Amino acid sequence: MTEVAKGREARLLHPFFISLGGTLLIAALFTDFMYSSNALMQWSNFSGWLIVGGLVLALISAIVLLAEVVLGRAGTIRWLDFTLLAVATVLSIVNVLVHTRDAWTSVVSTGITLSAIVTVLLLVAGIRGWTVTAPRAPRREPETRP
Amino acid sequence: MIRLAGAMSALILVAGGLGACSDKGSDPMRQYGPNPWLPEPKQYLLPPMSVPKAVGWKPGQAPTVAPGLRIQAMASGLMHPRIVYPLPNGDVLVVESNSPGSKPYRPKDYIQGKVKARAGAAAKGGNRITLLRDADGDGIPELKTVLVDHLHSPYGVAWVAGTLYVANTDAVLAFPFTPGQTRITAPGVKLADLPAGQMNHHWTKAMVATADGSKLYVGVGSNSNITENGMDAEEGRAAIYEVDRSTGAKRIYATGTRNPTNLAIQPGTGTLFAVVNERDEIGPDLVPDYLTSIRDGGFYGWPWSYWGNHVDVRVHPQNPAMVAKAIRPDYGLSSHVATLGLAFSQGETLSPRFASGAFVGEHGSWDRSPLNGYQVIFVPFVNGRPSGAPVPVATGFLASDHRTVRGRPVGVALDRTGALIIADDVGNVVWRVSAAAH
Repeated sequence: MTEVAKGREARLLHPFFISLGGTLLIAALFTDFMYSSNALMQWSNFSGWLIVGGLVLALISAIVLLAEVVLGRAGTIRWLDFTLLAVATVLSIVNVLVHTRDAWTSVVSTGITLSAIVTVLLLVAGIRGWTVTAPRAPRREPETRP
Repeated sequence: MIRLAGAMSALILVAGGLGACSDKGSDPMRQYGPNPWLPEPKQYLLPPMSVPKAVGWKPGQAPTVAPGLRIQAMASGLMHPRIVYPLPNGDVLVVESNSPGSKPYRPKDYIQGKVKARAGAAAKGGNRITLLRDADGDGIPELKTVLVDHLHSPYGVAWVAGTLYVANTDAVLAFPFTPGQTRITAPGVKLADLPAGQMNHHWTKAMVATADGSKLYVGVGSNSNITENGMDAEEGRAAIYEVDRSTGAKRIYATGTRNPTNLAIQPGTGTLFAVVNERDEIGPDLVPDYLTSIRDGGFYGWPWSYWGNHVDVRVHPQNPAMVAKAIRPDYGLSSHVATLGLAFSQGETLSPRFASGAFVGEHGSWDRSPLNGYQVIFVPFVNGRPSGAPVPVATGFLASDHRTVRGRPVGVALDRTGALIIADDVGNVVWRVSAAAH
C-alpha cells in the first residue's frame, strides 16, 4: 500500500508563475523611471511589454492556483496575499491601458504612479513568499502497533 | 487599508478612463470654418473608437448627390483606388495603392491595425496606375487598362512636359509619357528620394505641380500620431517639400503639417493649398482637420501645438518658441474626418453653386462616435480664401444606421468637362458626378 512519504508536502506551482509576473511588473517601474528621465521612447515601449507580460503571467498564475485548489493540493487561502496580488493585478490592467497612450502621457504621471503602487504591493507579497495558499499539511502515517 | 486604497484608486481610474465609452462627439458644424470650437483635451484609458464594417456597394447602389447632379460609376473592381488624375485628352488616371505595411513596436500596434482593418483600411493596394478612356464622353469608359504597375505605394501624380511624375512612398519617379498612350514600358527614373524607411506611419505622398511646371510640391506625413515613435523618426517628416523638376533638388517648403494628405494650386493666384489630417486620442472633437494656404517657410504647429498656440502635453520636451511661431490654419473641417481629397473648382461647369471654391473628399473617421466624414463636400471661397459653411456634394457612403460603410471617398478631381471624379477605396470604384441631364 503506497502512502505519501513521511513529512513530504505537495509542492505548489503557482508561486513560480506569480514570481515571474511580479518581477516583470516591478521591472516596469524601472523602465518607466528611465523614460520619465530621458524621454527616449523605447523605454516606454519596454514598459508596455513588461506590463503585458506580467498580466499574462498573472492570468496563468490564476489558472494554476485554481487548479491546485480544485485538485486539493493547496491548503487554506492566505487572504492578505490574495488581496495584495488581486489589487496589484487590477491596477496593472488599468496601467497597461494608460501605457497605450501616445508619447509622454503614457508614463507621466499616472503610469509611473501606478507602477510604483503595484511595485510596493508586489514587494510585500514577494517577501511573504509569493504564495496565495498555505502548503498542504504533510500526511501522517497511522501509528502501527508493535 | 491597502486593499481599500487600491480598490478606490482603481475604481476612480477605471470610471474616469472608461468614461471614454460614453464620450460622444458634438455637432461637427461647430468646427467648420476659420474659428472651430476647441474643447479641452482629455487623456484616455480607452480612446473613443467606432468603426463601421466595410461592405461595398450592391449592384444599383450609388452615393447620393446634391440636387441638380447625377452620379455614375466609371469603373469598379479596382484595387484600392486613391487618387484620380484627369489628363487633358480626357483620359483619367487612377492610382491604386495602399500602405507598404509596418512591424508592430508596442502592444497597441497589434490591436490598432485590426480595428482599422474592419473599415477596409488594410485591403491590398494595386501598386499601379490604371487608365480609363471615355472617348464618347458618356461618362462610361470604353477602355480600362493598367498604365504602369510594380510601383511602390504610389500616391501623387503630375503630368508635366511629356513626363508623368509618380510619387511612390519612398521616391518621385519620372516616366516619359504622352497622353494617348495606354501603357508605359519605360522604367521610371528617380527624380528625388522621399522620407520612408522601415517605420512609415503616414505613407501617402501627395504631389502637385506648379502652374509653370518648374516645381513639384510633395506632402510628407509624420511618422507617428504625436511623436510616440521618438523625435528622431520625425526627421524630415510632417512637412511639404518643394522639388525642382529639372534637377531633383528638394527643400522643405513648410513644416508642422502633421499629415498633408493632398495639395492643390489655387487657380489664378498660384497659392499652394493643403488639406491636413490632425492628431488623435485627445477627444472626439480634437483636433479638427483643416484646409489651409501654405506659406513658404511656414510652421503649422505639429507636434508641439495645434490651431496656433494650443499646446499638446504629450510631446516632451515642449517648445514654447515654436508654439509662438505656429500659424493658425485657414479653415477647419471638423475632427477626425480624414480629409484626403482636394480639388479647386474650375468655374461653373459642374454647377453655378460650385463656381468658386474647392471640393474636399472626407474619407471618414475610425476613432470617433458618432462617425464623421464619409462624404465629399464643397468649401466656398470668398476673395480667394475659404469661407462659409460647407455644402455636401456626395453622401450616402455610410449606411444610415452607421454600422456599415459601402464606400469611402479619397481623392477628387475635375475632368475637362467639369465633372467631379471621386476615388472610393472601400467600394473600389471611381465615381463621376456631373450636371443632371435636362
